[in-house]
Amino acid sequence: MPQDRAAGPLAAVRAKIAAIEAGGRADSESLPFGDDRIDGGLPGGGLPLAHWHEIGAEGMEAETAAAPALFTALLASPLARKGEAVWVMRRDDLWAPGLVGLGFPAERLIQVCARDEAEALAVTEDALATAGVSAVIAEVEAVDLTAGRRLQLACEKLGATGFVIRRKPFGGESRRAATGSTAATRWRVASAPSEPAKGAFGLGAPRLAVTLERCRGGRTGAWLFEAADPFSMEAGHGTHPLRLVADLGDRQLASPQPIRHVA
Amino acid sequence: MAVVPQLALADAQPEADAEALVALVDWCVRFSPAVAVDGSDGLFLDIAGVDHLWGDEAQMMADLRARLAANDLMFRCAVADTAGAAWALAHFGQDGVIAPAGEQAELLRPLPPAALRLDPDAAAQIERLGIRRLGQLMDLPRAPLAKRFGVGVVTRLDQALGQGHEALSFRRPPTPWITGLTFVEPISAPEDMVRVAQDATIKLAARLEREGQGARRFELTYHRVDGKNLGVGVGLAIAGRDAARIAKLFAPKLEALDPGFGVESATLAAYEVEPIGGRQTRLDAARTIAPEDGLAPLIDRLANRLGKERVFRAVPVESHVPELAVRPARPLNPAHGRTPGWDPETPRPVRLFRRPEPLDGVIALTPDDPPNQFRWRGRTHRVRRAEGPERIAEEWWKADIEDISVGHVRDYYRVEDQDGGRFWLFRSGLYKAGHPARWWLHGLFG
Repeated sequence: MPQDRAAGPLAAVRAKIAAIEAGGRADSESLPFGDDRIDGGLPGGGLPLAHWHEIGAEGMEAETAAAPALFTALLASPLARKGEAVWVMRRDDLWAPGLVGLGFPAERLIQVCARDEAEALAVTEDALATAGVSAVIAEVEAVDLTAGRRLQLACEKLGATGFVIRRKPFGGESRRAATGSTAATRWRVASAPSEPAKGAFGLGAPRLAVTLERCRGGRTGAWLFEAADPFSMEAGHGTHPLRLVADLGDRQLASPQPIRHVA
Repeated sequence: MAVVPQLALADAQPEADAEALVALVDWCVRFSPAVAVDGSDGLFLDIAGVDHLWGDEAQMMADLRARLAANDLMFRCAVADTAGAAWALAHFGQDGVIAPAGEQAELLRPLPPAALRLDPDAAAQIERLGIRRLGQLMDLPRAPLAKRFGVGVVTRLDQALGQGHEALSFRRPPTPWITGLTFVEPISAPEDMVRVAQDATIKLAARLEREGQGARRFELTYHRVDGKNLGVGVGLAIAGRDAARIAKLFAPKLEALDPGFGVESATLAAYEVEPIGGRQTRLDAARTIAPEDGLAPLIDRLANRLGKERVFRAVPVESHVPELAVRPARPLNPAHGRTPGWDPETPRPVRLFRRPEPLDGVIALTPDDPPNQFRWRGRTHRVRRAEGPERIAEEWWKADIEDISVGHVRDYYRVEDQDGGRFWLFRSGLYKAGHPARWWLHGLFG
């Protein structure tokens, strides 16, 4: 954040606040998206590592959680390349060939099928606190304050990053309303129409309308992302698997799906 | 008007006898992991490598005899180098004899030919020819012997003398990796059970370490005073011999065991034993974490708590049929890292339904245009963009010839609706005039 460096004393105060927000760990790393329009608003200039993040969706997607899974896989794939990744789920409808197409090292991903909510959270916590595991993705219904605090402690133990996909059971109302959360960030994800290159046939690269609803020590916002070409990532160009297409701004924050206004 | 009025009569119950014999086999596992049933009334125990747990063969046999006698069983037993010789000595020799290694021939000599486990006809013929002792049979030239009495006699003789092989069908796979603990007083307290698991694991792990081996599976059996066995098993993701870790995996499973009136002994067996190298502590060990330190214990904890099939890695299978293209595999298996994987170029969904969901209200041009509109779970989706078809046929070379039909062909389309939701749907069967096509949703791209 170059403008902060110029501000001098203000930067010092900001750093102090960031350190308090980070729970006494001023040295926490982050994973930049590689675009100032989003990195500028995030604490430490990127997605905070050694924290856990909450990803949700609305409507049918709250049950199928396909767009959140896509977004999470793209967010976590740079981490999954560096260490082991664990995906904890309740229903085993995650399909590895789809992850491979996104550039996620699916053949190395360890999948765990938990029998209930409590077990899924326990497994997530256990995996986060394991040496060698860099990212844990969990599909659970909700994380209450106690469970969230436990996840955070597990993250801080060895610096693993957690991703919690909020997913409702099929055909059921959510048992618990989402209350306050101890997650570092909370995202809401929805699919967005793709834009194929001019003259190209079929679908373009998958696009996602993403809202950052909550961010500890950072600013919220809404953006349009496109999945970057997985081959450029494998070549090690250092690009983030999510490419920022447009800043959707705050006016979309209330409803990321414009179609609802029409209805 | 019976001659012996006090004689009690009971009908023969061959099934019950066989069941009792199997129960006895399970009970005998405290002596050796390799126990085989012999006919309707005998047992073979392979005690190679386990007799030292009692001191020597004589002490082991004394223990076996004492325990069998305590259960009011009638028995005869013998120890010899071969199953054939042991059988002969137990049935026709002196009860409880232990043939010194390599010297069973001398002990077999005075026994009758029937001691060779021959069928009654052959035995009768041998006796009719005046051969009353096995020694006489051994002194005869082999070729005429085989000619006159059949190869079976020679084979049995060789097996008894250790010159021929004999395969016994053990009730459980024999493993030389077994250890046991016997208690002076039966134990039943939960903490004692845990301590036994620890002690047995330490004992076996020390042996594994001495020989540079590790095992993937450990089975602990508690032998109760009333003859019942309680077994628990744990599996490891990669072969190991860390006693503390293995004992910790056993601990939660021991709570469910019912020790009844007490447990008098315990055995621990290791399976899938393979050599593992000694661990070298690297200079840069702080930065790189070996799977034995981090991941393997995690996977062991999860697999033993949730079940082995719930913790897996998806590995590719060479199949075009989507639901067959993925196979769950052991989470830690380096062999799968190099197999050619799924093609990252063909678009595949992140979520695949186990059963494709039927779509209704599909409006599509025939014969093979993607749909313009479809209804799924009560919501109408208008298709904005589409790709396809990608035709995936069934694996006809695997099915019966009469089951093969074009009805199993699937044409897959990747479509995007007005909100940007991306779906993987397919039409089953080829286009046939007059028959509406059936559409299914198989996966979601998100």
